[in-house]
Amino acid sequence: MYHCPMYSQELLKGTLQTIVLSLLAENERMYGYEITQHVKDKTAGEIQLTEGALYPTLHKLEADGFLTTEKVSIGKRVRKYYSLTENGNKQANDKVNEFRRFSETMNELLNSFNPNPELQWQS
Amino acid sequence: MAELTELQVELIAAYIKENGVAQNELQVDLLDHLCTSIENRISQGESFEEAFQYTLSLFGPGGLKQVQNETFELLTEMNAIMKKVTFGFGLTSTFLLLAGTIFKLMHWPGASIMMVLGSGLLVLGYLPMILAHKLKESPKDEALLHIGGFVGLTMTSIGVLFKVMHWPGASVTLLGGMAVLAFGYVPIYFFKRYKTSVNKPVTLSSSMVTMACLILIFALMKTGNSIWYEDGVLRTDELLVQAVEDASASNAAMYAQVNSDDLLTLRRESDDLVKHIDSLKLELLAWAANVPRAEAAKIDLRTLEKMHDLAVGRELMLGVDDEINDGRFSGIELKGMFEHYRNLVLHYYPTELQDVMKNSLGLRTDRAFRNVEGGEQDWIHHQFEYTPLFTLITNLTNWQLEIRQMENQVLLSKISRPEASNPPS
Repeated sequence: MYHCPMYSQELLKGTLQTIVLSLLAENERMYGYEITQHVKDKTAGEIQLTEGALYPTLHKLEADGFLTTEKVSIGKRVRKYYSLTENGNKQANDKVNEFRRFSETMNELLNSFNPNPELQWQS
Repeated sequence: MAELTELQVELIAAYIKENGVAQNELQVDLLDHLCTSIENRISQGESFEEAFQYTLSLFGPGGLKQVQNETFELLTEMNAIMKKVTFGFGLTSTFLLLAGTIFKLMHWPGASIMMVLGSGLLVLGYLPMILAHKLKESPKDEALLHIGGFVGLTMTSIGVLFKVMHWPGASVTLLGGMAVLAFGYVPIYFFKRYKTSVNKPVTLSSSMVTMACLILIFALMKTGNSIWYEDGVLRTDELLVQAVEDASASNAAMYAQVNSDDLLTLRRESDDLVKHIDSLKLELLAWAANVPRAEAAKIDLRTLEKMHDLAVGRELMLGVDDEINDGRFSGIELKGMFEHYRNLVLHYYPTELQDVMKNSLGLRTDRAFRNVEGGEQDWIHHQFEYTPLFTLITNLTNWQLEIRQMENQVLLSKISRPEASNPPS
């Protein structure tokens, strides 16, 4: 699902929903390609999604009632704009808060741990 | 910003469909995604073909189909409780069926209850859960297919259960279920699979194997109830019935010759016992066909559905609970009658011969018999616990013949030496 040189798959698994929800909370309504580009730009390529990796998550969030879609014709094709529902807004807050707390806890937990004590000792 | 021509958009839309993306909403998403990406690259100076190829390469080796697969997976993910319940149903019913089968084979008590519970859980619990999941997971046009598979599997499971429990209607249900699977579900399922499969030879061979398995089970059922085998046993019974009639006629003629008061008891007891066995046969048929005994004489054993039934003899002669009962007909009663008759016949032999004749006369019930597992069992269980109905009927006729033969031997000795107190040497 992810193509990512920096983070392991296990680490990123389950965060895709949070990323999508928080992006949509910021930007009101976006289409699929736009979201993909945003993630790429914002993370300076550190989180790199394979093309199309977002759509499963978008459809799942829509099925769960967190997103609605709006279709706009562009010439011969249709563009689908995704936006948060009321529930989706709540979910976005919850998910982002949960993740913040999680990363704070992890930070505190790992502060005391030095992966290479010898190096530090010498310097 | 470059804009794709209508033709180019149509080309991309066709490509998406051809590469296995069937879901409409996803087609819309992907079409817009590909078009936007290609337009961006064309604006940077690439040709349509270059931009198209490059954009597709970003989708990775799984291609567009992978996106659809992942979408299906996410949308149809069973929630944790459903998963656990389905798993629990599956595991419990498998365990119960397995244990039930082993118990059944070993003739241990409790087998039936386990098999009924196991099948019940399978048919009412596991299969519906799987159906619900399949219906959610697959496109709408496949719904009928999955319902067909569900009906086929349910009928087959119920049929097998009924067959094992010797309940009526088993064969029809089983054959119906298997027909639905063999001629409906399996071919359509594999045809669909074949159309979209990547490795066609593997799909083809696995469908062949499945069909072969179903056909083998059909064949097994057919040979299991071979009509030639049944017919052979029934013809033996017809021969024996004729022999009993002939022996009765010749014995009657001999009684007229001997005309001895001494033989009145033998004549009465022989006739009574033969008649008793006749009515026992009728009782068995009436029991098997579930009709009043008065109508049992009209039953043709060849067309009786329960003709191979193992339970009829057991239920009537050993009692439903496998406890030896003392009803109008029972194994213990018949055994008593046979012993009584043997003693009566022995009494007509000279004293010196009685010890030898005790072990060589017919209707012996006092020795141990070998059961299926090689152990020993008594006469009553040997004769009635697991004997198919048509074999039981034949055995009963054979005993009638033994009675007539025992009677005949006594008569013969009286005719050749009317006043003999010693046997012919």
